[in-house]
Amino acid sequence: MTRAVRTELLKLRTIRLPLGLLGTAAGLTALITTLGAARAGGSGHMAPPPLYTAAGQQDLFIRTTFGMLLAAVFGVTVASGEFRHGTATATYLATPNRTRVLIAKAVVAAGAGLLFGLVAAALTTGITLSFVAAKGYHVALAGGTIARFAAGAILGSGLLAAAGAGVGSLLRGQLSAIITVFVWGLVLEPLVGGLFDAVQPYLPVTTATTMAGSALGGGVSPLPFAVAAALVAGVAVLLAVVAGWTRVPNDVS
Amino acid sequence: MAMIEVRGLTKRFGEVLAVDQLSFEVDRGTVVGFLGPNGAGKTTTLRALLGLVRPSDGAATFGGKAYAELAEPLRHVGAVLEASSFYPGRSARNHLRVQATAAGIDPARVEAVLDLVGLQGAARRQVGGFSLGMRQRLGIAAAMLGDPEVLILDEPANGLDPEGVRWLRGLVRGLAEEGRTVLVSSHILAEVAQTVDSVVIIDKGRLVVQSTLRELTAGANLEDVFFQLTAASSDKEGS
Repeated sequence: MTRAVRTELLKLRTIRLPLGLLGTAAGLTALITTLGAARAGGSGHMAPPPLYTAAGQQDLFIRTTFGMLLAAVFGVTVASGEFRHGTATATYLATPNRTRVLIAKAVVAAGAGLLFGLVAAALTTGITLSFVAAKGYHVALAGGTIARFAAGAILGSGLLAAAGAGVGSLLRGQLSAIITVFVWGLVLEPLVGGLFDAVQPYLPVTTATTMAGSALGGGVSPLPFAVAAALVAGVAVLLAVVAGWTRVPNDVS
Repeated sequence: MAMIEVRGLTKRFGEVLAVDQLSFEVDRGTVVGFLGPNGAGKTTTLRALLGLVRPSDGAATFGGKAYAELAEPLRHVGAVLEASSFYPGRSARNHLRVQATAAGIDPARVEAVLDLVGLQGAARRQVGGFSLGMRQRLGIAAAMLGDPEVLILDEPANGLDPEGVRWLRGLVRGLAEEGRTVLVSSHILAEVAQTVDSVVIIDKGRLVVQSTLRELTAGANLEDVFFQLTAASSDKEGS
């Protein structure tokens, strides 16, 4: 298994796509955090609360969602890229045990996915603190709270990346798998969560964002941090198991 | 025991019967041409042999073991299947490094096989910019990484220029002289006739003939014999 993991890591280090996705995640996170900070306390219902309030600062600290979603997309590419480029043939010739390959991909996606959360959390924290300091305000949130948001973004990103690897193994078509992740995270979950408040804490992407500090609608309480992490991890494992049973053994032609 | 044994191999893709009760053997240290018209089932057979497609029935083994059962398979079997199986943004050297890492092969072999196929000068270039012939050479380099005793080559001359074809002929002959076993599918019958010890000809997924080249042609042209046999196979099918 160690060799399979080292191989997957080497694959990532020898192409540009992971850095490109990480750069995109960083750019988007910086952009929406900076825009939010610039508009904080402004007019209009979309403007964040004033930056001197705890609510205003929290609104910016937790703008890690795009980083987390792109971590899931990254996970998809780790698995489905093999079929897009036909490299699955070489992979399975070197490692005929396909379950081992699947597990190695999920593990590596999770590990590299942590980086997406780390970069996103570092950016939202740095940008928010910079704006707060520049305006002469005090930090209204406890250090432990800010650290928990960052830890949630990092862990949530890793788990979503592992889940993405499961989606990529299940669907194989890279574009369709990426679209599925975006539609699921940005359309289906908000829709279902909007219709049925009570299910919000159990939707995987939503749950991962609550780990990073996002609130749920309708006054619903998020799951405790550890339970939320276990739920997203469970979804990742379930996706990998289903892929391992159904798609991974399929013919490679 | 034969080095390669295909026994009653059958593969269906839905309604399509790609390989039909195919049986043949390849002895250790021989170079065998695997011939047949387009759609005869050659590639499917080779992929079944390598564990990439699951047979509907029958078995294909190396020394009695399925490919997946081989310990360190790339050290026993090298395969060239298609020239497009490369990540276009990865360099040739890094492609080979990935394969070597996956198979637990000494990284020094990467430079050795790059030299072998004449790609040392292009090793840092991204494979996406390679010609078809360069991709074939890279595929052969990957197959040779583990210094295997068996080579499975599916249309290895595709995309090679005349100089490349001559180089490939020399390579295969050299491998044979070293006592390796080579199963090579090809459409270029004149090339096959210069390279192989024996042939396996299939059509519509079935064995037409397995024979030494000398016995099969008996002084005649391999191309003429091939067309006679496959036409006879089709006539038999139609009657």
